[in-house]
Amino acid sequence: MTYDASTRRDGQSAGSTAADRTFWGRLSAWGPYHALMRLTTASPRRQFLILAAFPILWVLTQHLGPMLQMLRVSLTDAYPVAPGVEQSFTLDNYARFFGDSIFWMPFFRTLTFAGVFTFCTLIITYPVAYFLARHVSRKNQMLFLLLLLIPFWVGEIVRTYAIMILLGNTGAVNLALKTLGLIDRPIPFMYTSFSMGVGIVYLTALYMLLPLYSALEKLPQSMNEAAADLGAGAWTRFRRVSLPLTIEGISSGCTLVFLISTGFYATPVLLGGPSTTVFAETIAGFFHVAGDEWPTGAAFATIMFLAALIITTVFQRLMKMLRKGESA
Amino acid sequence: MAKLIYNRRRFLGTAAATGAALASPAYLRRAAAQSGGEVNIWTYNNFVPEAFKEQFEAETGIKINIRLVDDQGKQFNLLAAEQPNPTVDIMTVAGHRFLQFIDSELLAPLDTDRLSNWGNINPTFSESDWATINGHKWGAPILSGMEVLSYNTDYVTQEEAMTWQTLFSEEYANQTAYIIQDMMSIVMLMKGYDGNMVAYMDDPDKAAAIVEEAKNFLIEHKPLVRKYYDSGAEFQQMMINQDIVLGHSWNGPAAALINDGFPLGMTIPNEGSYGFVYTYNIANNAPNPDNAYTFLDAILASPEIGAAMTKASGFISTYKGADQYLTELEKKSTSFPEEQLANLQFFRAEANELKYSLVDPAVEAIKAA
Amino acid sequence: MNDRPELFRGNRIFLACIYWAFVLYVFVPLILMVLMGFKDSRFIGFPIRSWTLEWYTGVFADTEVLSTFGYSIAIAVLSTLISILVGTWIAVLLEGRKFAGRGLTFGLTLLPALVPGIISAIAFRIYARWLGIEPGMGAIVWAHAVHNVPFVVLVVMARLSTLPKSQIEAARDLGADPLITFLRITLPYLVPAILGASIFCLLLSFDDFVRSFFLGGYEPTLPVMIFAMLRSGMSPEINAIATVALVLTAAIGLWAERFTRRMNKER
Repeated sequence: MTYDASTRRDGQSAGSTAADRTFWGRLSAWGPYHALMRLTTASPRRQFLILAAFPILWVLTQHLGPMLQMLRVSLTDAYPVAPGVEQSFTLDNYARFFGDSIFWMPFFRTLTFAGVFTFCTLIITYPVAYFLARHVSRKNQMLFLLLLLIPFWVGEIVRTYAIMILLGNTGAVNLALKTLGLIDRPIPFMYTSFSMGVGIVYLTALYMLLPLYSALEKLPQSMNEAAADLGAGAWTRFRRVSLPLTIEGISSGCTLVFLISTGFYATPVLLGGPSTTVFAETIAGFFHVAGDEWPTGAAFATIMFLAALIITTVFQRLMKMLRKGESA
Repeated sequence: MAKLIYNRRRFLGTAAATGAALASPAYLRRAAAQSGGEVNIWTYNNFVPEAFKEQFEAETGIKINIRLVDDQGKQFNLLAAEQPNPTVDIMTVAGHRFLQFIDSELLAPLDTDRLSNWGNINPTFSESDWATINGHKWGAPILSGMEVLSYNTDYVTQEEAMTWQTLFSEEYANQTAYIIQDMMSIVMLMKGYDGNMVAYMDDPDKAAAIVEEAKNFLIEHKPLVRKYYDSGAEFQQMMINQDIVLGHSWNGPAAALINDGFPLGMTIPNEGSYGFVYTYNIANNAPNPDNAYTFLDAILASPEIGAAMTKASGFISTYKGADQYLTELEKKSTSFPEEQLANLQFFRAEANELKYSLVDPAVEAIKAA
Repeated sequence: MNDRPELFRGNRIFLACIYWAFVLYVFVPLILMVLMGFKDSRFIGFPIRSWTLEWYTGVFADTEVLSTFGYSIAIAVLSTLISILVGTWIAVLLEGRKFAGRGLTFGLTLLPALVPGIISAIAFRIYARWLGIEPGMGAIVWAHAVHNVPFVVLVVMARLSTLPKSQIEAARDLGADPLITFLRITLPYLVPAILGASIFCLLLSFDDFVRSFFLGGYEPTLPVMIFAMLRSGMSPEINAIATVALVLTAAIGLWAERFTRRMNKER
């Protein structure tokens, strides 16, 4: 995507006469702008540097900066430093994680839960996105989509409490089942992996829905029809046509949802049971309960972060291979 | 004496009065000579009654900026992150958490001679042993809370609720909940040990053995519990949804349920329990220390202010005579029989370092079990 | 699809059922929330014995709630604008370009999204102090903007990867320079992704508690206020506030949808 200013040094390239009448034509013919463009696009290298300078500066100062602070804290033996205390550097905080198996359980549980809930979210939202993109007329698509977005404007906590009064022993579901005469005793839905799943899928569905929708929306209907003409059934059409072409959307949706799920704190804590502790809770404990455990918390957070990073990278690679394999 | 009028407007979840015409007591008129400015406070929702705030601002010209917090740990983190130049003048620290703040030099000692209304606090709280550390007072007690056993009176009898053992009985399997950190202290007490661990400060091995015993007890009974919870709101919701019928809780959230007409009872069981006190504290290097003292003296001025805090939070006022401004139901929900109160002791901070170095990993282990 | 309805009808009905079941799933908790705002009690939950309008009238009578709402919206909009600008720029740099350090840059880009809330909040707080940023609206906007950039990048990159190269080449052949090509070809193609990403950002910012808490000053955002109120119990009042906030944001959203639809028609 490089552009060589020399090709239009005389400003005489094709179409310029028609373009001159539009705003863009006038802009590109405007002296100072033209000079600026020549300056900035003089060579592919300079063009790239100008494009890359700001993003790289941003990620270094804004993204890396705070994290380096965290990394520094994770390598210290005390933070915040009490007056008169000498601060020294240590790896003990990392050793603590690997040295004590009680931390492994919530760690792997978090990754497993995040994976499972991401998959559930995908399974649930794919048909919804498919329906929206393929079976709703273009005029109404935005409206149908907005309809689904409305509930996401309610804060996490308020929605989580709404789920409690939905699933509680005297909650709406049990009330309805009882009224219908289906049960005598309430079913204890709450404080299980089930209630946690209901809550998390509720919170993440949107982050899956939008990438899927935008991928499906681009899918040409003609391909489906062509496949149908060749005698492909619904499942085959889906597997051979829709799925490969929406891998990009699936990949970015799953990455988003996975990342968000690993960081969830309030919902698992409020909806989960005694045996569903997640790692975010463990980490938060080091910051909430005792002040001098920030370094341990920071070290654990770094570990979690690295794990999430590795998993998403591997996942993205896999998806890329899959896409290449399908298109080959 | 100020006459606060509580109207029907319950907005912000309380009986907080707003806009009522108030007669100003003399202390405020004196203070009004002050230069104005502002005072910055970190506190829980409704711990500064709205009517008091308006009156104070009008009388003294000092603007009250309130930053709402929702737990002790966050306050500590925030203050630690702001050191050495905090934006805050007054914080709300629980008495047994003092040491952590004092050790990090986050609090300034309180000069009680500057508070003409210090005597309005019930000496049980203001002169209690936990209140003096390193020869100084560090905070003005405002509300007191305690660990209680709460039960749905439709399902559980008071006799059953007179012992913590019921919380671990098969009969109420999966209908109970507790805050696990707090429960560790209570289980130690149940087993006849000192849950504050002050008695074992010189014997860390004994301390470790006791924590181990309490931990194993809680792990053993883990299949019977419905939920390890964190916040009072969760406890209230579980009770309302009847996901639990019995649970350990703080008295404040339980009292709020009782005042709303929920069939709830609470006891200080025979094995005993722990109490704690919320205090207002002045931050080290506070930007407006003089205004902070003016505020503290003003808020301690009248038992009616204490009663307003009780109405909003369900916790018990530390002010002498605050209960005369409560309704019968509110009185009932914030008082206990003498024989139960006799079993109550305060949380103490002296052994906190030892205690939490043992209890925190134990809590992790119980959750992971 | 209208030429051959018989072929896809079965699917369509099946999918429609799933869609409406999903609508039910997302709306039932919402309906419960709205309903509980009318309960005459200090707590939400069944059974509801008597009803009241007090909580809703209270929200409108309380200027503090409304100003908190406005404050949250302002933070959401400002931080979203920054995130979109930065995120789109980064996505354009990263997509389909090979250069030394690309992988590293991509990793760094995702960083803020990978860090758990409490950690990132404290890291931002320490960093803000180091940079000399005072706690308050500016600091919150900054933290939200940084945190949301990765989400914009992911969404925009996904769309960008499907941009037909031929369109760019055609524009180049017509003599357009890179900036004009970007503004006339790439940007319009990215509009759906940018709209989607904006929704993410607005939501993430509007719902963020922990960063707002650590970086905020004495003026609470809506989630910070709700968290503090939760201390005295989950009351119908919180539901009423959330409902009013929902109705107002939905109204803004619908207006925006109308507005863009009209814009599209005029084009």
